[in-house]
Amino acid sequence: MVERSDRGDTLRKVWNRVRERHLFPELPHPVLTDSEENVALEIKGKRISLSKDFVEEMSQFLATEEVLEALLDHAVSHYLYCPWDFSTHLKLYSEAKKVLKDRDMAQKATDYFMDVVSDTHCVSKHDSPLPKLYQHMTRSVMDEAVHALYQRIWGVDLGIRGYEEISRKLSRLPYLDRSRWTESIRKFAKVVQGLLEIEERFDGLNKPNPMGGHSLDQYSSEEIEQGLKDFAMDSATPVEFREMIQDFEEEILEATRPKETGMGLGPGRALDADILYYMKLADNYSLPIRKIPMKKSGSLYPHQHVPWEVGKPYQDIDPWTSFGKILPGITQTWKRREGEIYGAEEGTPDCMVLVDSSGSMTNPRQQLSYAVLGAACACDAYLRNEVRVAVYNFSDAKAGGRQLLPYSRQRAEVYRAICHYFGGGTKLLLEDIDSLQTDRVPDIFLITDMQITNLEVLIRYFNEHKNRVTAVHLGDNEHVQTFRRSMALRKHVSIYSVEKKEDIPRIVLGRIREYFGTVG
Amino acid sequence: MRNPFSDFRILPYQKREIPLERIVRAKEDVMDKIVGGYLRLVEDEVKDLVWLVEHSRVVKAYSAAVKGIRDLQYDVDDIEEFCAELDSSSRIPYMISGPAGIYVSALVNHAQEDRIVLRLREYQRTFHFLGYRLPEGKVLILQGDVGDFIGAGLSGGRLVVEGSAGNWCGAGMMKGEILVTEHAGQSTGEWMRGGEIHVDGRIRSVGKTLFGGKIYQRGKVLAPQDLSGEI
Amino acid sequence: MRETVQGIYDYIAENLYLSRPDVEVKGRQLSTALLISLLTGLRQGKQLIIGEPGLGKTTSAEYVCALLYRFPLGIIWGSEVSGHPEQTEEKIIGRPDLGRLNLGEEVVVWSHFTLLPVKIVDEINRLPETKQSMILDGVDRGNWGYLNDSIINDEYCLFATANYQDKGTNTIIAPLIDRFDVMVESKHPGANLAYLIGMRGPDGSTLRDERLEQEFLQVLNERIPYNVKMERVERLCDEFGEALARKAGVPTLSRSGRAAIRSDMDGIPFDLDANAFLRMILAELSFCHRYGQKRSHEGCQEGCHFTGYLCGAVRNCISNRFPITVRNFSQALAWFLGDEKVDLEHLLAVLPYTLAHRLQWKDEATAQREKESRADPLAIYMAKQAVKEMHRRYMEQGPLVKNALAVACRILEGEALEPIVGDHPIYREILLDLGKEAS
Repeated sequence: MVERSDRGDTLRKVWNRVRERHLFPELPHPVLTDSEENVALEIKGKRISLSKDFVEEMSQFLATEEVLEALLDHAVSHYLYCPWDFSTHLKLYSEAKKVLKDRDMAQKATDYFMDVVSDTHCVSKHDSPLPKLYQHMTRSVMDEAVHALYQRIWGVDLGIRGYEEISRKLSRLPYLDRSRWTESIRKFAKVVQGLLEIEERFDGLNKPNPMGGHSLDQYSSEEIEQGLKDFAMDSATPVEFREMIQDFEEEILEATRPKETGMGLGPGRALDADILYYMKLADNYSLPIRKIPMKKSGSLYPHQHVPWEVGKPYQDIDPWTSFGKILPGITQTWKRREGEIYGAEEGTPDCMVLVDSSGSMTNPRQQLSYAVLGAACACDAYLRNEVRVAVYNFSDAKAGGRQLLPYSRQRAEVYRAICHYFGGGTKLLLEDIDSLQTDRVPDIFLITDMQITNLEVLIRYFNEHKNRVTAVHLGDNEHVQTFRRSMALRKHVSIYSVEKKEDIPRIVLGRIREYFGTVG
Repeated sequence: MRNPFSDFRILPYQKREIPLERIVRAKEDVMDKIVGGYLRLVEDEVKDLVWLVEHSRVVKAYSAAVKGIRDLQYDVDDIEEFCAELDSSSRIPYMISGPAGIYVSALVNHAQEDRIVLRLREYQRTFHFLGYRLPEGKVLILQGDVGDFIGAGLSGGRLVVEGSAGNWCGAGMMKGEILVTEHAGQSTGEWMRGGEIHVDGRIRSVGKTLFGGKIYQRGKVLAPQDLSGEI
Repeated sequence: MRETVQGIYDYIAENLYLSRPDVEVKGRQLSTALLISLLTGLRQGKQLIIGEPGLGKTTSAEYVCALLYRFPLGIIWGSEVSGHPEQTEEKIIGRPDLGRLNLGEEVVVWSHFTLLPVKIVDEINRLPETKQSMILDGVDRGNWGYLNDSIINDEYCLFATANYQDKGTNTIIAPLIDRFDVMVESKHPGANLAYLIGMRGPDGSTLRDERLEQEFLQVLNERIPYNVKMERVERLCDEFGEALARKAGVPTLSRSGRAAIRSDMDGIPFDLDANAFLRMILAELSFCHRYGQKRSHEGCQEGCHFTGYLCGAVRNCISNRFPITVRNFSQALAWFLGDEKVDLEHLLAVLPYTLAHRLQWKDEATAQREKESRADPLAIYMAKQAVKEMHRRYMEQGPLVKNALAVACRILEGEALEPIVGDHPIYREILLDLGKEAS
């Protein structure tokens, strides 16, 4: 057994070896700490902390180097292989919960599944002392079952007897095939459900796994943001997303910095999962920030020297750089170029987003609403370019079914306005739109199914005003035909019919890209 | 031409393998064969994706299924996984309940294990014809609600349904025992020749033609004493 | 000699170019701007240094050149080319000897920029494209021509600085920027170091020697053959080196020393992981399933299977200069750290700087990243993230990739084996090299 004072050196030596074996993962140097909970290791924000007590305890059975190496192999495999990222973690948890229907059990099953995957990956690729460590560890019922599984799939003896049926069933799962993890965890959860129920009875679900649990602490806030983005893309409905997020609400709030632009939070505000869903979805459809445009000044000025050739005009010859000679190869002539100056400093106008949330439109909190997503993409594109966005969310406006957000740069406020759903009739009030007009004529994005009761009024309004209007509508009907006919000659109005709802973000962004390109 | 890979000549190319890979590969192989057998059965037996329940067709389908699985080495986990595949349809383009149940029954009847448990509770689809011709010495436990013709032609085995059964439960059974812990549907025990059916819940109706055997409801003999129909 | 170079690094870092270490390699904390500049100088590379005005872009290059090549600062200043549109070939490369020209003889007076092995161009993006091209072409081969004469530099390196885009600048077009080996940012050193700089200022006076500078000028301006001139210059360099060792206590390198170092560097092998990883990167940055290879004017197909790889995020195909640069700089780094082989860690340290200026990102890729918090300019940050991603993939698949390469080797040597297939573009590249079609 190595004295504690040498353990730091041993750790350094072992870490270099483990790091090289795992091909230099970007992880900081691990530390030995006093663990509050009875776990072997913890990973917080990529920092691996090994429990001194655990290492000492295991050093009675194995060489300290082997203990450290096994723990580091386990930790690094988790980082490198499973759960790979926060989005995968959420997906695995979500699949486990579908089978187990209970949050704590689902978390436990997910933790164990991830342990099996990472450990198996490690053992399949490297000569790791992990099996030796497991031979001597204290085990719960669930640990024993998992170790029985390891005996089968690794071909080692960990001293477990029994658990034949469970280990046989579990050994059939393709743990090393990432593409089938969601299917595998469902089957895994189904098989271990009985054991988890036993653990629940003995309050074992609240105890962390001996090798440490998998909380969200291990992810950086950027990883969580990225993971939420990916998970939003993979969630079929906002409901699915919300259910997951609500299960992790506290951890997400704690792990991330609550900033208005990022997570839609403010002081004292809880997480609105639906708004977060659309924010993260919209993040997947981004336009780059438009650079300040340059434009030609319209006048030529001497820019650079080029060699003069016989036959070229004489008037731009520079006698100074030509040393007073008119000789090919010596004489230099000026090449003129049109100057460039900055375009209009404030090239991007503000944007007014008109969102139809009448009964014929999808409720964005129940189903994925591409209309809301399109509006969100438009808002983000303008907000990223440091301009303001106003939102007019209408249903039966006269009956009070309307929400008007004045120009704002606050992303969360804008999203709250967009995501609101009235579900009533469809009639807007022109005075509301008028109240949002400014001296600098804003762009207008209208996203609707065109089944607006007072459509003619709207058409007249657009005809009378100079705003650039982009109307995105779903499907085709007589109202659409009316709108198209009326707007046909208006150059500043573009109408897009969307066959597939999935096209909305692309259409919206395409239009904005054109707008931004022509300004200046 | 210069060998651009020559730097890797020294690397031994034998892959490190753990038993998991072998187990998964073997399992995949068996599953491919089982699924292939089922698809062949469906193609041969089911024309235009319509399959009518006629005695001769059932017998023919069962014989074809048995022939298809004759040389396969499989176990109870494979059968359970096949049922999951049938339910999820990820690999199986069409799941037709009748032939599917007959095929599963063939697998069950010819499995090495004497006691087989199939967990059907979470499945969306309903399986019919499970337990068809279950032979003596075999115990089949079905956890969850099942469809029609459960235990049809039972041939001495013991069939337990931990849930409800559909119509024609035990139809044409020869011998053996069926236990249904919840309810049974119409025409229970139709054409049965022997054996016993025990139902702990309601029975919608008993079959009109019973050649032998007994039907019990909540422990009391229901047939052949009372053959009049609705209970 | 390694200690000498490390001594030069330490001396500059402590006395001349104060900056925060921003990379850790093999347990050593280093400043990338300084480290990469040193490696560029040793490796005869071409470096593009970007940064805000006044943050030491040009100064850092001057210090490195002065100490590595033993030229007094005054001489280096005199040889610098400053970027503005009115630069002429005569100011950059050479001019006719006017006296002899009047007598009808074409004799070239070469500029100091051309003569000296150290070449610094200040604000290269303010030069017109023709002049940028002229300089980069010359430095590519060390070959400078004017009128009917030419000289060939045996040893040379180029440091070019550029401010960020403003209305006075041109872009450096892709074919030209590809000629740079590396791009680094000269960062703000932070408030505390900046205060120190303000209070005591970097003391470059140790790198000056008026007497020797006069002698250098005299030799450089003499009308003698180039090789004779350079021999005399080398003698003066040695003299300056001795002066430096006396005044500043920092030993420097002679020309033969630098040549020996380069030879040592060339002999450092790549380990198999570094080898395989670099191949994986090349595959991701050149591959196109649909069109055979990446081309700047051809976009990706909607729903392409390979959008998860970098070929889906960039527009252009990586050039063959890139692997040459990577080899040179990773060997240089391995040598600098005293390692016997180039491994993944060396590659990971240099790759972002060799890629940053070479990758043309798609708008969507840029949009995803530009608002993320970072400590580098966007191009370098995106290159770092790209390298991280590819490294992650390699960590997962490395052994399989190496196996695939090993099997391919055997197949080409005649063994009857089946090539290993996988999803990553490298497997398809292997199949193509084996003369098999990838399905």
